[in-house]
Amino acid sequence: MDAAAPAASPAAPGRPRITGIGDWSDRRAELVLGALACLLLLLIGLMLATVFAKGWPSFRENGLAWFGSGGDVDQQLLDIFNSPANPDAYVYHLRAWPLIYGTALTTFGAVAVGLTFALFAAIFIVEFAPDRLRRVLEPVVRLLAAVPSVIYGLIGILVLAPFVDGLVSTERKESVAFVVQLSGANISVATLILTVMITPIMIAIIVDALRAVPRAWTEGAAALGVNRWRVMWTISVRAARPAIVAAVVLATARALGEAIMLSMVSGSRGFAPNPLDGLTFFFEPVRPLAATIVDNAEGLQVAPFGQTIYAFACVLLVSSIFLSVGGWLAKQPLRRYGIRP
Amino acid sequence: MTRSQTIACGMACVGAMLVAAPATTAVARTTITMSGSTSVAPLAAGLAKAYLKNQANRRQARFKLLQGGSDIGINDVARGRVTIGNSSRDPQPSDPGGLIFNKIARDALCVATNRANPIGNLSQAEVQAIFSGRVRNWRDVPGSRVSGPIDLIVRTPASGTQDAFQSIFMGPDLRVASSAQTKSSNGLQQQAIRSNENAIGYVSFNFTKGLHLVPYKGVACTLRNAKSGQYGGSRNFWMVTRGKARGEVARFIKWIRSAGAARRVISTNWVPLR
Repeated sequence: MDAAAPAASPAAPGRPRITGIGDWSDRRAELVLGALACLLLLLIGLMLATVFAKGWPSFRENGLAWFGSGGDVDQQLLDIFNSPANPDAYVYHLRAWPLIYGTALTTFGAVAVGLTFALFAAIFIVEFAPDRLRRVLEPVVRLLAAVPSVIYGLIGILVLAPFVDGLVSTERKESVAFVVQLSGANISVATLILTVMITPIMIAIIVDALRAVPRAWTEGAAALGVNRWRVMWTISVRAARPAIVAAVVLATARALGEAIMLSMVSGSRGFAPNPLDGLTFFFEPVRPLAATIVDNAEGLQVAPFGQTIYAFACVLLVSSIFLSVGGWLAKQPLRRYGIRP
Repeated sequence: MTRSQTIACGMACVGAMLVAAPATTAVARTTITMSGSTSVAPLAAGLAKAYLKNQANRRQARFKLLQGGSDIGINDVARGRVTIGNSSRDPQPSDPGGLIFNKIARDALCVATNRANPIGNLSQAEVQAIFSGRVRNWRDVPGSRVSGPIDLIVRTPASGTQDAFQSIFMGPDLRVASSAQTKSSNGLQQQAIRSNENAIGYVSFNFTKGLHLVPYKGVACTLRNAKSGQYGGSRNFWMVTRGKARGEVARFIKWIRSAGAARRVISTNWVPLR
């Protein structure tokens, strides 16, 4: 077979012909890697199709009102779970707004706070930190980026939630007792831990981008008499904008998909916190979509309930696709001026 | 790796498989697979271990134990994916047909509060009023040492424990208030009650460490009271089979229900049937 291989491959017109065993092994690598890549695409396609097909009945029965609000979403989930066995009598009624809103609140809150922090932290690490501090800071940031989320969840539920529970006054709890229970597991604790979880990734990416800015650009600015801060802010950060967008996309994706940590510290209640409630807003419970899936995975075997869970998965998948596309679109105009990460 | 080495490796793998296949089939042992309730799982694992202590049984059977929740166990066994489905809830009319529920033990379901709030007793009416949300403040509960709103800590709807609480304590007409916090496991529920003075919830007996167990209808939630039948909050543990159990499965279930060794395993944290 080895002997036959070179004879079977005519040299491509523009490529120098390589004879002997090297040519065959190159072509083999190309084929194998190509097949693997195609397999991956196929798997993703199949996964999308499966999730859509399984979740479809829930969307079909509710229409666009699926995304709206109305009633208590936990009560609706309970009714779906207790559907009669007869397929004609399955209950599908669902208004998922509190879950979607909870996902958006925790994600955007965490990304907004985290991005501000990560940007300044990265500028500090690249430009201002003394060498000794930088040698410690950078490995620590990279280590933090790799900590499994369940560990953050444990710290949240064992340390942070009991502490925050002490901050909520009894009067405040009583004032809303007929609507919702306030406790240490709430939206602020969830957002805070999510922020801590996603910030290190953003710092790491932005640091790499700031370092990749050509030296000539920054030195040119410095030669014109601009101070270090303004060089960073007007030259380096501007040039690194595509990388900052990429960092935000990656962090948002991680925050969107975070399930187990949020299931532990978010209060586990399908409730839409109202900003008009003033300070109470920060102590109200939420339950994002991914946490809802984890919490209710036990009931997957009940047909309509399983379809509803798949519908949640579907929304998460579609939003992460939109996120990637949105990130790509946002990067296009910036690329012309910036460096290419 | 050269080509000849690759071929040699492949040959060796295929050869190993050819040799291994007859080796596993030579010993004719029945594999009993189980899936289902997470509450039953520790008991099922203990029982299987004790069952295999016997030399004769070890030649006949081996076990594989999965978890997942009562509903998953029942559905798995109905579709023939496992030989036994573990369930911590009673049979329901919506369950698939042709299933036999074999009762193996009973489990005490305790109403629990924080240690800072050692309530002396709750009647069924009081439990119903608290969990359905009619009473929302500890001031209105006699014997309470704390004040402020009552924090309900319950399980997710798909849980067998939630189902048992609903049918034993609440009855068919009352629902647990939807403002309650729902936890996805007994352990998380236990942690939430331990860290919150105003909390009340319900847990399976082997998750009660660090909690105050509220006596129900004047009877303390202890293993002794559950065994004597005085404690009213007990539920059944089932092993579900498709059709009547046969062969090794039938022997295993019969052993659980009659042998002294099985009884000793069950007595550690659960209630034997006899």
